[in-house]
Amino acid sequence: MRVVGTSVKRSDVIGKVTGSAQYAGDVRLAGMLHGRIKRSTIAHANIKRIDASRALALPGVKAVLTHQDVPRVLHYGAPHPRSVSVTRDQYILDRKVRYWGEGVAAVAATSEEIAEEALDLIEVEYEPLPAVFTVEAALAPDAPQIHDTAYSGNLVFKPVVITRGDVAKGFAEADLVIEGEYETGRPTPAYMEPNVCVCQWDNTGKLTVWVSTQAAFMVRGILAEVLGLPLTKVRVLVDHMGGGFGAKQDLFQHEFLCALLARETRHPVRMEYTRGETFVGGRSRHPCKIWLKQGFRKDGTIVARAARTVFNTGAYGSHGPGVTTVGTAALTSLYRCENVHLEGRCVYTNTPIAGAFRGYGVVQTYYALDIQLDEAAERLGIDPVELRLKNAVREGDIAPSGHPLVGHGLEDCLRRGAQEVGWAQLRRRARGDSGTLRRGWGVGCEMHGSSAYPGIKEQGNAIVKLNEDGTAVLLTGAAGLGTGAHTALAQIVAEELGLPFDDVSVVHGDTDVVPWDIGAFASHTTFMVGRAAQIAAGEVKKQLLERAGEQLEVAPEDLEIGDGTISVRGVPDRRITVRECMGPKLGLPAANILGKGTYTPTKSYSFAAHFVEVQVDTATGQIEVLQVVPVHEVGRVVHPVAAAGQIEGGIQQGIGHTLTEDYVVDLATGRSLNAGFVDYKMPLAMDMPPIRTILLETAPDPGGPYGAKGIGEDPIIAIGPAIANAVYDAIGVRFRHFPITPEQVLAALKEKSSGSA
Amino acid sequence: MKRLVEVTINGERHALALEPYRSLLDVLRNEVGLTGTKKGCDVGDCGACTVLLDGKPVNSCLVLGVEVGGCEIVTIEGLQRAPDRLHPLQESFMQHGAAQCGFCTPGLIMMASALLAENPQPTEDEIRFGIAGNICRCTGYTKVVTAIQAAAKGMAEGGK
Repeated sequence: MRVVGTSVKRSDVIGKVTGSAQYAGDVRLAGMLHGRIKRSTIAHANIKRIDASRALALPGVKAVLTHQDVPRVLHYGAPHPRSVSVTRDQYILDRKVRYWGEGVAAVAATSEEIAEEALDLIEVEYEPLPAVFTVEAALAPDAPQIHDTAYSGNLVFKPVVITRGDVAKGFAEADLVIEGEYETGRPTPAYMEPNVCVCQWDNTGKLTVWVSTQAAFMVRGILAEVLGLPLTKVRVLVDHMGGGFGAKQDLFQHEFLCALLARETRHPVRMEYTRGETFVGGRSRHPCKIWLKQGFRKDGTIVARAARTVFNTGAYGSHGPGVTTVGTAALTSLYRCENVHLEGRCVYTNTPIAGAFRGYGVVQTYYALDIQLDEAAERLGIDPVELRLKNAVREGDIAPSGHPLVGHGLEDCLRRGAQEVGWAQLRRRARGDSGTLRRGWGVGCEMHGSSAYPGIKEQGNAIVKLNEDGTAVLLTGAAGLGTGAHTALAQIVAEELGLPFDDVSVVHGDTDVVPWDIGAFASHTTFMVGRAAQIAAGEVKKQLLERAGEQLEVAPEDLEIGDGTISVRGVPDRRITVRECMGPKLGLPAANILGKGTYTPTKSYSFAAHFVEVQVDTATGQIEVLQVVPVHEVGRVVHPVAAAGQIEGGIQQGIGHTLTEDYVVDLATGRSLNAGFVDYKMPLAMDMPPIRTILLETAPDPGGPYGAKGIGEDPIIAIGPAIANAVYDAIGVRFRHFPITPEQVLAALKEKSSGSA
Repeated sequence: MKRLVEVTINGERHALALEPYRSLLDVLRNEVGLTGTKKGCDVGDCGACTVLLDGKPVNSCLVLGVEVGGCEIVTIEGLQRAPDRLHPLQESFMQHGAAQCGFCTPGLIMMASALLAENPQPTEDEIRFGIAGNICRCTGYTKVVTAIQAAAKGMAEGGK
């Protein structure tokens, strides 16, 4: 490997450090108007009357849209429509509101200030409906039904049931049975770039949309479907984007409204969410309740596992079915068990919408699984790492996706991490149980798939063109969320073509130009689109070598390529540069060499073990993460610095989930209580511990390019249970929920001391 | 009523007619066309809009445009020393993988440049304290801190 495996300078970063990178919100067009959304002040109601006449009379207001003015088409708010992962339950604007803060009208005006002022002049009269804010209330027999399209009551879809083996028989064989209830909070992705788009129509009736999205072709598809346009009349452009973490797969409301306001006013319209709206009208993780029961033999073997999960999707289904299915199915694995019975439910409530977010349901269920495993280790008298090693999934085990696993990645991560932190000595160390500050170590594990298979049979596409000077262009629809995906794809093309990295450029972000793409999510870009790019480059290479073979008068099979030069194998003097091979000569134009790659993968699984040290202040209840040693097995590492960056950022979000981040909804009114960065507390520079990242390449997957697997979602999963387990190690209190707040720590310590007194 | 404001931005003099309620962030992005300065929250919580105002870092969303008359402002676009010569922090952020989505990057680099101007050899704790008001959601700050340390070292060795 010459290019793959090296941390080349990322092609997207020069614009980011100089301020020249263009994000959707940076687009400025002549005559551009500014759009704003009026949001509901009630969680569940029918709109009895909505009157925009006073708003329309305000000077500078160019258009107002209410549910009376927009197409009424039931649509998928999330991408990959017609997949079982997502739900068709949204209108652009409805006659009914289902959560506090849902858009009920939109304004376009000559300035943001006027648009904002106009919102207050729109009169809305609501007929309040009973509202439900918890899954218990939503599942009660007399609960109001939020959607007519629901599977039943407030169930988003038919509960998922997964059975392997005979769970009753398994429990009958168990020496120890542990049962627990676990609950996870409502963290939000809190990407730095608020949702934003700019829409413009031309005289042919074509709509151009600049938008911050992970799934440009899905935006194109849904806009076309809802607005009744052919795909030739919708063009979606995304250059740089300021993060998404899964949530920016959805269409929110503003894309439709912005397009319609632009059509109505015959002006380009820009619509940008405030930070508050990015919370209220954005997508959070699904709050989840998990009941988990496992049976163990004395030697630590897990003989039975039963679980019920209930995911709260909020007011709309979005990715609810996908998250519920993936999160629940994940409990078949990580730790081997032949007898499994799992049930997963997804429930509507009158709260802000939960959607796709890094970890996609697995963050929730593995939190429960790995905390319970720690409890089992203690009760069985087995070291937590040993118990994990005993039960770790390995080569040939059937993955949650239903196909056999490749390699022994999880065992490798556990062994390497235990060695790195000196786990055996740590377990034997003397405890200072008397001081105010107590330290503890914990471990958590995860496995996560690249691609959304089998929920969706995905497809990665790429086109590679060779220029007449021997350089190459990759055309990809994959979005650049900030992960460095385009750089990784270019590295793969350069590797395959034997070119220097700088000789490959990437064209992306224009749905009129690049091949169709499903969207950048499910940790699949490097794995799936990377493989497609490798296939496309391989086709180019084949054509190039055929041409070179003619020129050098040898069979193409006898040629090799490297550093921009093609030479006869074993006869290095017989050579030609790629440029010479391609180039025009004697009045003949250059060759037209173009390769196309399409790849429909199943799935590969990446693995990790996180080792964490925490310090608990027993006087204040504060939990501080002192250090993290994440060990990730990701197959072939394409760009080590970018891969480590993904891991460190995922850990930051995971620490936030576990200790401080919770988007809170008032259980009396459904109103959002902390839709801003001061009250929604994320770990920042002074909170973040040192992270010693270790990358392993011990279980490469032949499904990925050069054996590469996904990395995007993995690092947010194992950190949570590792912290909870470290807290137990420090203070002997087992928390089964997140976030774990200082108040709860103090209360638990008080209860513990009164119990033991 | 608009007010006339004369201000130097990235070494260039600008005469701007501004409504008194408009923030410096809004003025930079929408009047002057300098969109490198980012709006992450517009209420002073995130630091994405950090610029230098007479050498001091400020959240430009919390400063009014009409307040900056006679002042000197440097934004991310003005940090570069020449078209082909980046500021050491810019080079260092690229080299060490400190920018992912890049939305917080201009603010972080401006804040770090102010920090290094005041304290050319900061400790890790001083760096973390210095950028405590800049929210980054992608990196976990590990590589950001490394990049600032490396830039400080490079600048000291370069005698700057």
